[in-house]
Amino acid sequence: MLLQLRNIFKWVQLGGQRIFLLKDINLEVQEGEFISIMGPSGSGKSTLLNVIGMLDTFDEGEYDFLNESVHSLKEKYRSNLYKEYIGFVFQSYHLLDDLTVEENLEMPLLYKKIKSSERKALVADMLDRFSIVGKKDLFPTQLSGGQQQLVGVARALIGKPKLILADEPTGNLNSQQSEEIMQLFKKLNKEEGVTIIQVTHSEKNAAYGSRIINLLDGRKI
Amino acid sequence: MFKNYIKIAWRNLFKNRVFTAANIVGLTLAFAVALLLTMTALFELSYDQFHVNKASTYQVYYSNQTPKGSDISTANPVPFAPALKEEVPGVKHISRALSENALVSYGDNDFNLDAEYVDADFFSIFSYPTLAGNNNKPIQDQNSITLTEEASKKLFGTTDAIGKTVKVLIGKDEKPFKVSSILKSIPDNSSVSFDIAIPFDSHWEYKENIDIWDARNHPVYVQLEDGVSKSQFEKSTVDFTLLHNEELINNMKRDGAQPDINGNYAQLGLLSYIDKRFANFNSGVLNVKRTFPYMILGIAFLIIFIACANFVNMNIALGEKRLKEIGMRKTLGAVKGQLFGQFWLESLLVFAIAIVLALVLSNLLINPYKTLFNTNATFANLMTPTILGSFLLGILLVTLVTGGYPALLLSKLNTLKALKGKWELGKNGVRNALIVVQFVIAIVLITGTLVFQGQIQFMRNKNLGFNKEQVVSIPLNGKKDSYRVVELLRNELQGNGNILAVSGSDNNLGRGKDGSISSSVLGFEYKGRIVHSNVLTVDYDYAKTLDLQLVEGRMFSKEYSADSLSMVINEAMVKELNEKENPLATRVYFDEDSVAYNVIGVLKDFNHQDVSKSIEPLTFFLDRDYELYYAYVKVAPADMAKSFDAIKNAWQKIEPNAEFLGSFLDENIDRTFRREKTMATIVTAGSVLGIVLSCIGLFAMSLLVVAQRTKEIGVRKVIGASTSSITILLTKDFLKLVGIAFVIGTPISWYVLDQWLQDYAFRVPLSIWFFIGAGLLIALLTVGARTMKAAAANPVKSLRTE
Repeated sequence: MLLQLRNIFKWVQLGGQRIFLLKDINLEVQEGEFISIMGPSGSGKSTLLNVIGMLDTFDEGEYDFLNESVHSLKEKYRSNLYKEYIGFVFQSYHLLDDLTVEENLEMPLLYKKIKSSERKALVADMLDRFSIVGKKDLFPTQLSGGQQQLVGVARALIGKPKLILADEPTGNLNSQQSEEIMQLFKKLNKEEGVTIIQVTHSEKNAAYGSRIINLLDGRKI
Repeated sequence: MFKNYIKIAWRNLFKNRVFTAANIVGLTLAFAVALLLTMTALFELSYDQFHVNKASTYQVYYSNQTPKGSDISTANPVPFAPALKEEVPGVKHISRALSENALVSYGDNDFNLDAEYVDADFFSIFSYPTLAGNNNKPIQDQNSITLTEEASKKLFGTTDAIGKTVKVLIGKDEKPFKVSSILKSIPDNSSVSFDIAIPFDSHWEYKENIDIWDARNHPVYVQLEDGVSKSQFEKSTVDFTLLHNEELINNMKRDGAQPDINGNYAQLGLLSYIDKRFANFNSGVLNVKRTFPYMILGIAFLIIFIACANFVNMNIALGEKRLKEIGMRKTLGAVKGQLFGQFWLESLLVFAIAIVLALVLSNLLINPYKTLFNTNATFANLMTPTILGSFLLGILLVTLVTGGYPALLLSKLNTLKALKGKWELGKNGVRNALIVVQFVIAIVLITGTLVFQGQIQFMRNKNLGFNKEQVVSIPLNGKKDSYRVVELLRNELQGNGNILAVSGSDNNLGRGKDGSISSSVLGFEYKGRIVHSNVLTVDYDYAKTLDLQLVEGRMFSKEYSADSLSMVINEAMVKELNEKENPLATRVYFDEDSVAYNVIGVLKDFNHQDVSKSIEPLTFFLDRDYELYYAYVKVAPADMAKSFDAIKNAWQKIEPNAEFLGSFLDENIDRTFRREKTMATIVTAGSVLGIVLSCIGLFAMSLLVVAQRTKEIGVRKVIGASTSSITILLTKDFLKLVGIAFVIGTPISWYVLDQWLQDYAFRVPLSIWFFIGAGLLIALLTVGARTMKAAAANPVKSLRTE
């Protein structure tokens, strides 16, 4: 088992009233799964993804990741955990505009304190694998949206994560680009056994996954 | 990792090059100026610190109670020093030291040297090492002298001069002296400096004063035995003082003087030698104030503070643009420490560049700076390990705090909020505090500038009671008899229609090119009480030459043969004598058995001393037994430069071997407030820089505010708010801060400036307008910077950032 959420609650206090963002979420994810989270706007999809990615906290419940209790970890250890095992892909790519493609790919490795020669090799591999060797010295703004997201996925993969969290990865892309990215995810999941959890609005994209979780008002249905 | 940080830092700095440039320029200017100012301040503070025995060395002063309060004199009678050493235990070394110009000749050449007449102990007390000759005893015997390197080169063209004989003009005779040693150059930070040291008993007044206890004309320096404290020694001199000043003390008691706290009417005091430069006796008590160096240090600190506050504010403002980067880096596993390190490194980079540039800039500026601010300070003064160490530590600390604060703020941001570009600083406490402090500093500096400049203009424009524009004063530094020189000048210039009058006196007005300022005071009994007066020996035509106004009677005239027994007094002296009814009937006996002097005229008060002093009683004598030291020439207002040249030519004809040091009196007066001018220049420069830096800061601030309120501005504009209403909206907060700063700053600067002005007998009134002016200036700058920014904001663009 990769991770397990038990009775997760998250709320905000608003004028003496609790507004629940997540309400009693229970979820088990096995290694190698490809899960799609669906639901209308405001149903808590992104919040759930952020909680799983440890970018956000929760108010009640328990969260085990690879048999570590996340809820009782300090920020530093939590950060070690997710930088080791989790890769993120965002709707708006979130590439750093000041860095070239190559440097963007290199950055997660820097925070993992990997040696320079090894970093070079890993980045070169990744460029090769995604066929973007020719674009390595370009800056993100010089690329199309699809290409940027490709770099985004490459960056998420370079640390060899067990889990990829994707928050509407195709939200800013046209249908053809979407198709490519989704095919890529499928391939990663099938061939390399990477676990993927994606948030999506699109039924078509959700169909790539092996399991669909539907949310409404912070509840699993 | 480090390389990556540097790379990012570099790109970021380049991307925001306008702000980077603003920051670097600001910090560079601030550091460079602070460096120069610190150098000056440390130089001032290093005065006399080079003396090995400085801890046990003192200058003796004599304080006595007069009917008008306590009075201090640093001048001592000739028999005083030997008697003190003889009669009071605890003196290790003691030396008299009389500074005077001496005419020294070698071969056919005459040189006017700065001489110090000293006792043998002088060189045991003070550390003036020799270049050649005996280090412990530079003056071998009564017929030897010692010269500094420079003086030796001037006289002989070489420093290899031991054993050579020079002639020194002692009174009216030349006396030969053997050079027994050569001293190394006297450090610039020595409060006593000289070209030549001559045995004290060679002074022309020595013999006649050897047993005279009531003529005081020289300072005395003393080194106490180890283990003898200052207060202990002062106490043990009470009886000594009483014994030797008995008559004077009795007279003071009779005239109604009150004893001091310890019940004494006269008391010797010791002034720590290292405090000499900062000591002031004007108010009748010893006052050691290191105001000047500390003020300079303060200004340096304030300037650095303004620049650093700018840096902090600007970095926070720029952080806004980097929220996404911060969020992303956190998502990729960066922890707080790493982010802090990254941002801090960027700050360090800017600081490093600024510091290097500042070092270059201050090196380039050092020469003009030294001329402008009239200081001899050099970077060599800073090159001690302690100072360098603390300087480095200071810079590190400033960098740590200034670079660290924004870094800390940014690295603390919540990942998700940062990713969404939400700035959650919320309250601007730190920012507002920084701005208020900046404004307070600006207000203090600006009012300081206005008041300093006002006071200088006031002193410069003040009617001093004599004609300072048209009169040239010439130090009589030649060998010829002074009365003869004045007469020769008169004859030589007679034919010249632009020369209106020629006269002379034994004292200068203001500070001439010879650099000397002196005063002589005479005390005598008049109608059963002691009165004091400054005395001045003058030649004929003195009042005419200087355009002094006669209130009553007449001036000295060749038509009256008895005028050498006459005296002319000023109005202050009339008051001192208390003869307001009929001053011309006054007859004065200076000694019990002397002849009577008649007052023949009363002159309107004029500022015969420093403008900072009130006008003291003054008595004029026409007495050929006393030398003249200065000639005065009045010229017509037309062709003054030509007339000046004519005077110079005449001088060179009369005294071909003596340098012509003539100067107009208004220059001399200006020279007397050189210190004020230096202070004013420093404060002005400081406040101009402060204003420039504050403007850069305001610019940054406006960015920050607009960034924080982008959406609000956008919405307001879309709804239809005009640019002006937005300007008011944005400016209001700043003007509030200016208001707070005004309320805080005004009392501070009022107090400080009022204290400063107390030192001046004639001073510019501290008007509220100085403060209102400063406040308005700052408010105007604020509004100006804000208006520009708000007008430039585009509503659509500002909405799109959400």
